[in-house]
Amino acid sequence: MTVDVRPLPSPVALLAEGRFQEALAPLRLALAVGDACPATMLNLAIAEDRAGDSGRARRLMQQVAVRLPDWDEPVLRLAESLRSAGDNAAAEEAYRQVLDLNPSRPEALIALAGLLLMRRSPEEARDLLLRCCGIAPDNAEAWNTLGLALRATGAPNLALTAFVTAQGLRPDCLEYVLNGADVAPDAGEGDAELARLTVATEQNPLCPAIQLGRGMLLERLGRRSEAIDALEVATELAPDALVPLQLLAGVLARSSRVRQAEAALRRLSAMDPDNPQVRNDHAAVLMRLHRHAEARAILLDVVDSHGPHTAVLCNLANATVCVGLQEEAIDIARRAIDLDPDAVLARRALCNTLPYRDGTTGAALLSAMRDCSAVLPRTPQPPFNNTLDPDRPLVVGLLSGTLRSHPVGWLTVAGIETLDPDQFRVICLAQNAAPEDPIARRYRAAAREWVEVDGMNDAALTSAARDRGIDILIDLGGYGDAARMPACANRLAPVQIKWVGMQAHSSGLAEMDWFLTDRWETPDGFEPLYSEKLLRLSDGYVCYSPPPHAPDVVELPALANGFVTFGCFNNLAKITPRVIETWATILHRVPNARLILKTHQLTDAPTADGFLADFASLGISGDRIEPRGSSGHRAFMGEYGHVDIVLDPFPYSGGLTTCEALWMGVPTITLPGEIFASRHSASHMSNAGLADWVTGSVEGYIDMAVTRAADLDSLAKLRAGLREQVRRSPLCDAPRFGLNLGAALRHAWRVRCAETS
Amino acid sequence: MDTIHVTADTAALRNRAAQLVDEGRMDAARPLLAAAQALAPPSPDLALIGARLAAGEGALDQAMQTLDSGIAAAPSHVGLRKCRADIRHRMGDLEGAARDAAEAVIVDPADPQAKALLGAAMLDLGRTAEAVACLEEAVAGTPTEIGYREALSAALEKAGDPSSALRVLTDGIAVCPASVPVRNAAILLCVRRRDFIQAVRLAEQARSLGIADACTFGMKGHALSSLGRHDEAAIAYREALKLGPEDPYVRHLVVSSGAMPDSKRAPEGYIRTVFDGYADRFDAHLISLGYSIPGAIRSVLQAHPKIVAGLSIGPVLDLGCGTGMVALAIGDLPLGPFTGVDLSPRMLTQARAKGLYAELREGDIIADLAMDQQRWPLIVAADVLCYFGALEEIFAGIHQRLEPGGWFIFSVEKILPDHDGVIPGNGNWALQRQGRYAHAEHYIYEAVCAAGFRILRLDRPVIRQEAGAGVPGLLLAIERIHHDG
Repeated sequence: MTVDVRPLPSPVALLAEGRFQEALAPLRLALAVGDACPATMLNLAIAEDRAGDSGRARRLMQQVAVRLPDWDEPVLRLAESLRSAGDNAAAEEAYRQVLDLNPSRPEALIALAGLLLMRRSPEEARDLLLRCCGIAPDNAEAWNTLGLALRATGAPNLALTAFVTAQGLRPDCLEYVLNGADVAPDAGEGDAELARLTVATEQNPLCPAIQLGRGMLLERLGRRSEAIDALEVATELAPDALVPLQLLAGVLARSSRVRQAEAALRRLSAMDPDNPQVRNDHAAVLMRLHRHAEARAILLDVVDSHGPHTAVLCNLANATVCVGLQEEAIDIARRAIDLDPDAVLARRALCNTLPYRDGTTGAALLSAMRDCSAVLPRTPQPPFNNTLDPDRPLVVGLLSGTLRSHPVGWLTVAGIETLDPDQFRVICLAQNAAPEDPIARRYRAAAREWVEVDGMNDAALTSAARDRGIDILIDLGGYGDAARMPACANRLAPVQIKWVGMQAHSSGLAEMDWFLTDRWETPDGFEPLYSEKLLRLSDGYVCYSPPPHAPDVVELPALANGFVTFGCFNNLAKITPRVIETWATILHRVPNARLILKTHQLTDAPTADGFLADFASLGISGDRIEPRGSSGHRAFMGEYGHVDIVLDPFPYSGGLTTCEALWMGVPTITLPGEIFASRHSASHMSNAGLADWVTGSVEGYIDMAVTRAADLDSLAKLRAGLREQVRRSPLCDAPRFGLNLGAALRHAWRVRCAETS
Repeated sequence: MDTIHVTADTAALRNRAAQLVDEGRMDAARPLLAAAQALAPPSPDLALIGARLAAGEGALDQAMQTLDSGIAAAPSHVGLRKCRADIRHRMGDLEGAARDAAEAVIVDPADPQAKALLGAAMLDLGRTAEAVACLEEAVAGTPTEIGYREALSAALEKAGDPSSALRVLTDGIAVCPASVPVRNAAILLCVRRRDFIQAVRLAEQARSLGIADACTFGMKGHALSSLGRHDEAAIAYREALKLGPEDPYVRHLVVSSGAMPDSKRAPEGYIRTVFDGYADRFDAHLISLGYSIPGAIRSVLQAHPKIVAGLSIGPVLDLGCGTGMVALAIGDLPLGPFTGVDLSPRMLTQARAKGLYAELREGDIIADLAMDQQRWPLIVAADVLCYFGALEEIFAGIHQRLEPGGWFIFSVEKILPDHDGVIPGNGNWALQRQGRYAHAEHYIYEAVCAAGFRILRLDRPVIRQEAGAGVPGLLLAIERIHHDG
């Protein structure tokens, strides 16, 4: 028999290894058997503190301090205990006692400086740290904290030097290199610091921290693609580390590389499953990929596990409306407002969900929009000095997170391209830019300047717009994803106009002067429903730019099928219970007809099954409803080849979808209401010469569907010539639209000049 | 404080670096390769990635050094041989490229890429039949590799078999129906052969299938325009611009179709692109179109008082000299030396080959006039002002550079009313569908007089034939009458 005789680890060794609970017993025993040595008492105090009994720990520390009044160690430990418990005032007092005993104690200098920084006394912190760095020039943390203090005192150049010194001492420390990257552009040393980091990566290829710092600096310098390269290198070098992946996911999401961002966040969620921030970010990216059901499941779980949080509830409200649960979504948005009545995000969530609900009136929506406007932060700005000459060439700013293949892009780019370049100089202020996107490239080619504004807070964005002398700012984002309309509360330009881009209704924004519209969207008498003045274009309020890759129009499918196929390719957020009831009635009255519902959200089988069940409960069997999920844009357009008549949802009508259906030869039956979003199809159909497809009541809508479905000859004839009709109509006549838009912008400017004089 | 360390292994870093090189992401590949190299001893695989990385960054010499040492250590490594063959080819060492590719073929006779590299080298060495043989094997080995097909098509075209050249590409369309490049290659070949009907057919097929890019629509527009189907060409150009909005060439053509607001002159990029692409066939093309301006300039000059008196006029500035057709027409008169200015470097190469110019300058003519300090007794601009709408700036520039009493001889295209009898454009000038500007006679007269010239002679020649009809123009000789100050 062998006996395993190993010495027990000493309590000091256990403390050093962080095994505080295990260290307790031997230390308590030592004290009990009479070891009253101060070092033993202090070690026990440390173990007690870390093991959770801070009261006993502090009593022991104080006893040691009384016994050895010249020893700084027990007071330092007491200060640390107080600080970690969040009692900053007492901790600060204790650190000062340490420094009275030992003015050169680096830990106390650094920790006290940290507390002073937290309570905004950076000058005193800086002085302590300068002393500390003199005493302990090899202490990287001292240099890093000095950098923070210097930054807070408005000395970014000196701060950068301090951070660089800290990095030199600890190149593998993330915080030091990231602090340097963050402050370098403020110090005007962005390029120099980048050069330094680039050389450092070459000299030390096995240091992921430097790659990370380099990546974040490139991001701050607006060099996104290179930033992604550097951050990806860091994630490849250290695949198990969370921070590189987190930073990479953020930059990918901001660069509209949403699929890659989702992959990174999925990996991150798996590595750090209890982090609600990571899961919320993941859900937000899933929503950008139109995977709303998955996003919703994650967000519901986060709320269950971590309790309600405003940002999470807001995302949840948006995800919920997008799977067609309008009432529930509005309730969630209202919960978010109750949780934090001053939160802009919560108000935005309500503004973004209300338009989808059946029965939301124009006045109610305007009121919600105005409430949101009221909580937007506003900073006093100097007066504009734009020359108020009514006829001079104007600088027009486009503010948007969707200047790309997106409804905003398809409906505005041709108008911007055809603005008279001698009269209007266009500057794009782009959030979430997608450099390779074909429509983004068209805006870039049409604009004199392209400014990416993601890295700018509202104050910086306001300066960027004002410094460029923008005369007319057009917001193309509203309160949508990545939108920056809230910055307009600071007035980016003397004239501000709302156009496309979450243009569900009036912006409600007090500083928004005009609202671009047309006579179908806002007939005479609608003015009281808008906080802005209405700027009605001569034809429609948008110009559709059909995609070159659209398939050819095919023959009316009903002729070969022997039955009529209705279709709706709109977002599920627009499909309310009343819409489903209405469609079910139509299907009852046209007994052989089928209905194709196609949208991203129907890729999710439970969501699709839910819709089939809704129809089944109204007596429509599953074989008459065909849910279809995502496809590429060309395939999406091509599937109109299976549809005879589009049924528009209400109250939120189709916009781009209606234009695309028209281009594919399929007309839309529409029922406009009071709010702006309910009238898009009415505008597009009227603009294309098909005003007789616009109805005035649910009954009229049903009757029209039944009547049109019975007249296949007329449908076939219309379809055969529809693309050419649309091509020649004002809806697609870009040069004509450019003139109209130019005239409207000129009018708005002249009014401004007249009002000011 | 969070610290971070390398936890990836060498193989993972090496594989990812190779992948990133394939994707063309050299900035991301470089640090990963450096990390892999720091963790592992040299190997042929690392050498190959390093060489491809260097080549991808344009550092061909560095790539060659890496490959030379890699091949010294592993002479039969097919990847290294193929890479060196490719780089030697790019550096102009065709024999060396052929040797490396042949070595790779010997080591791995089943490698189609090695055969393609050998074929490409043979093609440029002028050994066309061998090139065709190698490339046929390469295509047979990897029928879906479009690059091999394009090379084989080029070889067959060079071998004088254009039908087979086109068939290789149309077979490629059948094998890879979703490939835009193979469709574009086939359309381009048709355009080069002036088979515009087939080009339009292939482009229309690509469009209807949604397998088309800006280039497809651009070539479709070109082919339609060549067939005189200008309205359809305008639609094709508009679609091309949607997909390639940065292209000044296409943009100008779209503007000329009236779908975008007017510009006062054609962009430099457009002119350079058009004429660079045109330089090799320019003279023949213009002559075939009945281009008569150089001869008309000659007859105007023969009436110049100095020439009549048997004296030399002196130095000549030839603006937009192109391939040097004007110098060719008037070079035997008592003139010179000639200085030519043009935007297109390839045009200038052709002009240089004629040996008639003392100096040739690449640049925009307005910029050149502003920079030039010399005063000239004679400036000519044949078929050049049709790339400018408003002419005031150019006339002012010429006035600055002419000696008092100096002559400027130039041609413009004459503006004509449209089908409805309406004068297009702003009444003074109009941008036409072909991308050129036409000018009204009264405007030329007013602009010339306002700039300080006197008209000596005005002819109304047919300047060339287009779609079987004469294009009417104006040829003017004007004299600078104002003195400086």
